[in-house]
Amino acid sequence: MTAVWRPLAGLVGLAAVLTGLGFTLGASQLLTLNEAVGLALFAVATNLLVGYGGLVSFGQAVFYGVGAYSVALGWEHLHWSYWEGLAAAPLLGGVAALVVGLIALRARFLYFALLTLAFSQLAYEIAENQYHFTGGANGVFGAMLPVSLAQPRTGYFFVLAITAGCLAILWKVTASPFGLTLRSIRENRNRAEALGVNVFGHELIAFVISGVFCSVAGALFVVYSQSAYPELLDWAQSGYAVFMVVIGGMFTFLGPALGALVYTLGQQYLVAHTTQWQLILGAVLVLIALFRPDGLAGLFGLAGRRLRRPGLARPTLAGSGEIQEPGEERTRRSPGVRR
Amino acid sequence: MSTFIIDAVGALSTAGTLFIVSAGLTLVFGAMRLINIAHGSFYMYGAFLVTTIGAASAGLRFWLAVVAGCLAVGLIGTAVEVGVMRRIYNSEHLTQLIATFGLFLIFADLALKFWGNSSRTVTAPAAVDGRLSLGGATFPEYDLVIIGFAAVVGVSLWALLQRSAFGWRIQAAVEDPEALQASGVNLRLLRTGVFALGAVLAGLAGAIVTPQVAVAPGMDSAIIVSAFIVAIIGGLGSVAGAALGALIIGTAETIGTVVAPSWASTFIYLAMIIVLVLRPAGLLGIPERAR
Repeated sequence: MTAVWRPLAGLVGLAAVLTGLGFTLGASQLLTLNEAVGLALFAVATNLLVGYGGLVSFGQAVFYGVGAYSVALGWEHLHWSYWEGLAAAPLLGGVAALVVGLIALRARFLYFALLTLAFSQLAYEIAENQYHFTGGANGVFGAMLPVSLAQPRTGYFFVLAITAGCLAILWKVTASPFGLTLRSIRENRNRAEALGVNVFGHELIAFVISGVFCSVAGALFVVYSQSAYPELLDWAQSGYAVFMVVIGGMFTFLGPALGALVYTLGQQYLVAHTTQWQLILGAVLVLIALFRPDGLAGLFGLAGRRLRRPGLARPTLAGSGEIQEPGEERTRRSPGVRR
Repeated sequence: MSTFIIDAVGALSTAGTLFIVSAGLTLVFGAMRLINIAHGSFYMYGAFLVTTIGAASAGLRFWLAVVAGCLAVGLIGTAVEVGVMRRIYNSEHLTQLIATFGLFLIFADLALKFWGNSSRTVTAPAAVDGRLSLGGATFPEYDLVIIGFAAVVGVSLWALLQRSAFGWRIQAAVEDPEALQASGVNLRLLRTGVFALGAVLAGLAGAIVTPQVAVAPGMDSAIIVSAFIVAIIGGLGSVAGAALGALIIGTAETIGTVVAPSWASTFIYLAMIIVLVLRPAGLLGIPERAR
């Protein structure tokens, strides 16, 4: 049980610190922190697939964007209040995830990654080109928030509360029998299948859950930006979620949230002090890939082993964790360069 | 009839560029199991280098610029392989994607520093800058140049991979790297060579496409997504698949522009999704196995 309670205690402690910051920080810093908190939910929801499911999706921005657009387009076309948009976001995001998941999960490994990437670009192109409905490249912007949320401080507390609630649910999901089965599929797909696990069904449910929470994160985005635009849907946005996961560490529940914080604060700092923030982000990514594929949480894990969850072994994207029968490797033929 | 010819030539020309880029991408994947996002950067650098070396002058200087651009991109590719890639061949796909995306961001930022934010244009050499008439249709001569380049690249790659020791070694490098090394082949050099060749192909496509497009930041991101789609439709690792995929995407894009302009850019993604639903490993691909 301690394995379950320790991260939960960390979550509560973190929430306390973030609440304290909400009372002390100035408006502009609060907006930055607000963005980090919203992106933390996006990153953790993405990690349900990347880290727990071993499914590297470059398409989570589809659902993030759907969430933001649910609020914005509902406000513009249907005169919804923010609350109605917020309620619709997870539903629409879940439906979108169901459709995308049914198709994308047929492919595996790299094909899955690149197919989800194509969905991300498809969503982006639709949002950009159907300007009668979506406002095209400019997107939708305006006073779509109730007065109570438009204030930085109340907005921040609102985002913090929703994020904390969603993270608690996601935590329960990962610790549930479903979450354990998902990890077992990641570790050894064939064995899970042989044990009678409905692999596709589990992956599809994980995909939908992730889509639902990515969509909520997108609806939260509107709180601190009061807009929705096509770039929220494109592959770069999808990629940033994966990078937050990788920067923070995908082998932990809260690692991606840490990644989101580091990413947002780092971006703010670098954009303010240098014009070359992309260069630095790129260099950081290359260095992480070369030297620390398990991210920041892994780095801290070296020092204290506090953040690392026991029992969450290194995930394997290519299913390389599959146990090979002796001699099997020799007979396996990989596709080479062909005509 | 005449509009059909114009559209067909346009589609083939689009397909030609896409094929040359995707062939490089799929070649590198076939030999090293590696998807290189920075491949799009090589394409953009090929284009930018031509605008710098070729300047505004058309004629022989343009072709010299194309050659110099390709070679320079080849050198950049070699440096990238030696500096980063060879250290991550045995890593997971995600690690590789992260590393190459990092490189992509670095190259994009450096390009902004070197060449600025403005878009540049290049005039094709006068000899191929005119318009041709065929069956009542007129189309740019330069389209034929691109199609010609694509055909030459396709035949050369086929000969290289199927009929030369280099090609056999590439296949062996995937099938059984250890046995290949034991038979006295320098595997590291071979991989560097393949990666550099892939970079040269991207650079070549970027260099020869300059008279047709505005050379500007962002073309790296646009081409890499198209190249992914082409390579995936054809099946990763298959050069013939890349040709097939390029034809499909070139056609889909052209039809889209004619039939429903505001939906045109979504057609290629739909084409990819449909192909992958029917054949999850692409048209000519073999399903990827666990390593």
